[in-house]
Formats: sequence, structure tokens, C-alpha cells
Amino acid sequence: MPSTDAESSSRPVASSPITAQAYSRRGRRLGPSLANRLRIGFAIAFAVLTAAAVIGVGHFIAQRQDYENSIERSYQAEMAARVEFAEGNRAGAARRTIAREEANRAELRNSISEDTRNTAILVGGGLLAGLIGALLLFAGLIASMRRPLEALVDAAGRLAAGDRSTRVEVGGPSETATLGKAFNEMATELELEASERDQLDRMKDEFVLTASHELRSPLTSVQGFAELLMLDRDSLTQRQVETVEIILDNCRHLVRLLNDLLDLARSDAGRLTIRPRPTRLTPLLEDVVRTMRAQTDKSEQTLTENIEPDLPLVEVEPDRIRQILLNLLTNAHEYSPERASIQLTARVADTGVEIDVIDNGPGIPPAQMEHIFERFVRGDAGMTQRVGGTGLGLAISKSLVELHGGTIAVDSEVGRGSTFRVTLPVAPPGAVEAPQAGPRAIAEGPR
Amino acid sequence: MTTVLVADDSETILLLLRTRLELAGYEVQTAADGQEVTERVVPGSSDGPDLLLLDAMMPRKSGIEALRELRAAGLETPALIVSAHQDPRDADAPTDLEISGYVTKPIDFDQLLDAVAELTAKAA
Repeated sequence: MPSTDAESSSRPVASSPITAQAYSRRGRRLGPSLANRLRIGFAIAFAVLTAAAVIGVGHFIAQRQDYENSIERSYQAEMAARVEFAEGNRAGAARRTIAREEANRAELRNSISEDTRNTAILVGGGLLAGLIGALLLFAGLIASMRRPLEALVDAAGRLAAGDRSTRVEVGGPSETATLGKAFNEMATELELEASERDQLDRMKDEFVLTASHELRSPLTSVQGFAELLMLDRDSLTQRQVETVEIILDNCRHLVRLLNDLLDLARSDAGRLTIRPRPTRLTPLLEDVVRTMRAQTDKSEQTLTENIEPDLPLVEVEPDRIRQILLNLLTNAHEYSPERASIQLTARVADTGVEIDVIDNGPGIPPAQMEHIFERFVRGDAGMTQRVGGTGLGLAISKSLVELHGGTIAVDSEVGRGSTFRVTLPVAPPGAVEAPQAGPRAIAEGPR
Repeated sequence: MTTVLVADDSETILLLLRTRLELAGYEVQTAADGQEVTERVVPGSSDGPDLLLLDAMMPRKSGIEALRELRAAGLETPALIVSAHQDPRDADAPTDLEISGYVTKPIDFDQLLDAVAELTAKAA
């Protein structure tokens, strides 16, 4: 972990309990919360509806009062006229007054029923408007929640899918705004952690690459001067020759280990790349067998090849296929006893070209078969004492075969031997064998 | 006599290369870095080395930089680049310098001597 200084400067927000409080404090300044909006909405709707009802009913009562007063005045005027008429005073004028008051009341009756209708319409309209307003208000509130929530759901999906630069726009009611801010802080933390992890990974890869690079020069000297001694082997005693041979053996082992570590580091960093091109397998396989023969002859093992004629071109990087096959054959050679037989076969199958490395050695126990392609997995302890492998060869071979789009599998029976099968993709029809581009590599060093 | 100019910042590697090449019958000149190489080699002169064997990475001036300068000045001598990289294609390999080949460490001297013989035979 980096120092606390670096941490505090690179992480403005620490994951402490204070942060949670900070969210809610900041949340309050973000605008009214949903709860407050609802309260305000209810209050406005209640006020509008109550006002409409009170005004309407008040109006109605006032009209009714007016009407009753007017009717009463009209009756009083008519009664006075009728008294005058009965007494015989100004009978003509009194009759006219009676008729006028009757007409007046009929008009008042008409007018009050019309007023009542109008008031009812007014109150009804007010209530309806209030209801519609309330509905719109709630729809708006729901929408104001929905958009930020949908954005959050989207962003969470993207974050889960690995897009750590995802952020949401902070908005909406304070609840969603706080949620949005919290989400953004979380995404930032994740991004920082991921970049720290990436950086550590890069440092590790860089370290392996540099170490393997720096170790090569002294190794060149050790191996080179030991070889120089061997050029004069006639003047060395048998004991000295054996000593130098041990030095050289161990140099080769170190080189193999370095190359394997380098390949693994490259593989981890995604920098293990291949440049496949249409390739003829037969000469490559024959060359691999030739290379191996020096070692198998020493152990009096029989190494045979059985390559089907007219194999189609395969889409591979020849050096890598050589590396894989040398690795499988070296395993077969090292794990099998003297005078064992090892066979390399190649044939066309539905899935591509199948290359088998078959030995009649001790075989692999089922418990070990599951892990055979994992790193640093080797045969049992008694075996590995004798065998000089790195435990990385099969892991690298698997990575390489899979980079080619091929497969590698193992079949084995204890006491009968093992078969490793590599299947390689056939080059597209019409492809022609392509030579290697660029300057050649001289002295690749033993693998 | 065929002359090979070898440049490497490691005295040990230089001694090793010199010994092996001299045992194989070559005359060997040595340089500790690319600066010495560019000072020593005069493009166009007839008595220069027949082959350059340059370490890719050296202080002051790398083998690649030295070769770039010499090629720009018209040098046509074949050159091999020695690199500690396992894969010569990793050595951010320049493609414009007419490099005859890459020698990776640890050096396989049988192959190196074959390549040197082949390249100097052409020159002779």
C-alpha cells in the first residue's frame, strides 16, 4: 500500500463514517426533498380545493339570502298594494303594482335557479381543476424521481460491466441527488482502486521484464566462458569437463526459466502476442524432432515421427509452435525412463491439424491431470528431483496454443504413458506459405 | 584479414566476443559505446571494419543510435545488433537501418559465427 500521505492526497474522500453524514448535509442544500415536495404539493392542492369549496358555498348562500330578501320585499309590496286595492284607493295603480311584483318574483325565481347552476358549475370546475392540478403535480414528482433513478440503474449496469469511468448527472429530488452523489463517489473509489491495481500489475510485469533482461548479460558471460573452456576440452581433466558441463546445464536451465517467466509476464500483461502466418507443418515438425534427437539418443529413447502426408497449411507463428512442441517433447523425454519410446504424430481432423506427443512413460495420476496446465505444477517430488523443468512450460504452452485459437489436451494412464494433443487451426483456403518478415533472429538461445 | 568491430559496454562480454571471434580467425576492434563506434568508423573509407556487432543498449550512445548516424552518413557495412531481449521484435526494432540480424542473449556462438562468416563472405 502507498504511504498515508499519498493516500490522502490522491483520495480526497476517505471511506469513513463521516462521509455518510457529509452526503446528507450536502443533500439538504441540493433542493427540496421528495417528502417536502409532497408536503408542499398536498398543501397547495388542499388549499385550492378548500378555497374553491368555501368560495362556492359562500357565494351560493349569499345569493340565496339576496333572493329570499328580494322575494320578501316583493310580497310586502304586493300586500300593501292589495290592502290599498281593497280599500279602493287608487285601484288602478294598486293592480299594476300587484302584477309588477308577481312578474318581478317570477324573474327572481328564474334568476336564482340560473345563479345556482352557475355557482355549481364554478365550484365543480374549481374542484376538477384542483384534482387535475394535483394529478399533474404527482406525475411530475414521479417523473422527477424516475429520470435520475433510470440514469442510476443504467450507470450501475455500466459500472458492473467494467466501465469504471461511469458517472451519473446529479439531479432530481435530494434523495436521488444524494444517491447519485454517493454513486459517483463509489465509482471514483473503484476507479482509483482499479488504477492502483493496474499500476501494481504493471510494476510487477515491468519488474519481471527488467529482471529477466538484466540477468541475461551475466548469464551470457557465465555460459560463454564455460563454453570457451570446453573449446579446450582436450587439455581439461575428465573431472573438469564434467564440472563445466554441470555449469552449462544449469545455464540452460536458467535461460529456460527466464524465458518462461518472461512469457508468463507477457501473458499476464496481455503482451504475449503472436504473428500467425500460413505455415507448412511438416518441415517444422521434422526440425523439432531433429533438435530433440540429441537428447533422446543420450537416454537411448526411441523418438519417431508419424506425419500424415499432404498436411494443409496451418495459421500459426512457427517459432511459437516449435516452442510448444519442444516443451511437450522435452517433458516426454525427461519424465520417461531410459529406452522409453516417444512419438510425434500429425494428422488432419475436423477441428484442424492434430499433433500428438505420445510417450510410454510413467503416466500422470488422475489427481494431477486436473492441474497439469497450471503454473508451477510438476510431477511428484521423486520425479522432479531428476527432471529439470520449471513447472511453467505447460502453462505457457496452453496460453500460446489458445492465442493461436487452438486447443491442448492430455490423456494419460498411470503405467501406460501420456498423450498430449495440440490442435491447430488450418489456414484459410487459398493461403500461401508466407516467409518471416523483418531481420532474422540469430542465436535465439536454447529454449 | 576480415575485421569485425564489436561494441559492448560490458568488458566481460566484450572479452568473450573478442576471444571467440579471434579464435575463429577474425581481427577484432572493440568499442565501449556507440560514441566510440561513430568516432572510429568513417563511412566510405576502404580500411574500415567488414562487420559491425553492436549492443543495442549502451550508455552515451546506443548501438542503434550509432548505426542510425552511420547509415545516414552513407555507411553500407553489414551490422548485427546484440540485444538482451529474448525476442528481437521486442527491441522496438527499427526497420530502416538495414540490420542484418539480431543476436539475443545468451549468445549461441555457433549460430553467431555462422552468421558472421556469411555476412563477411559477402563483403570480401
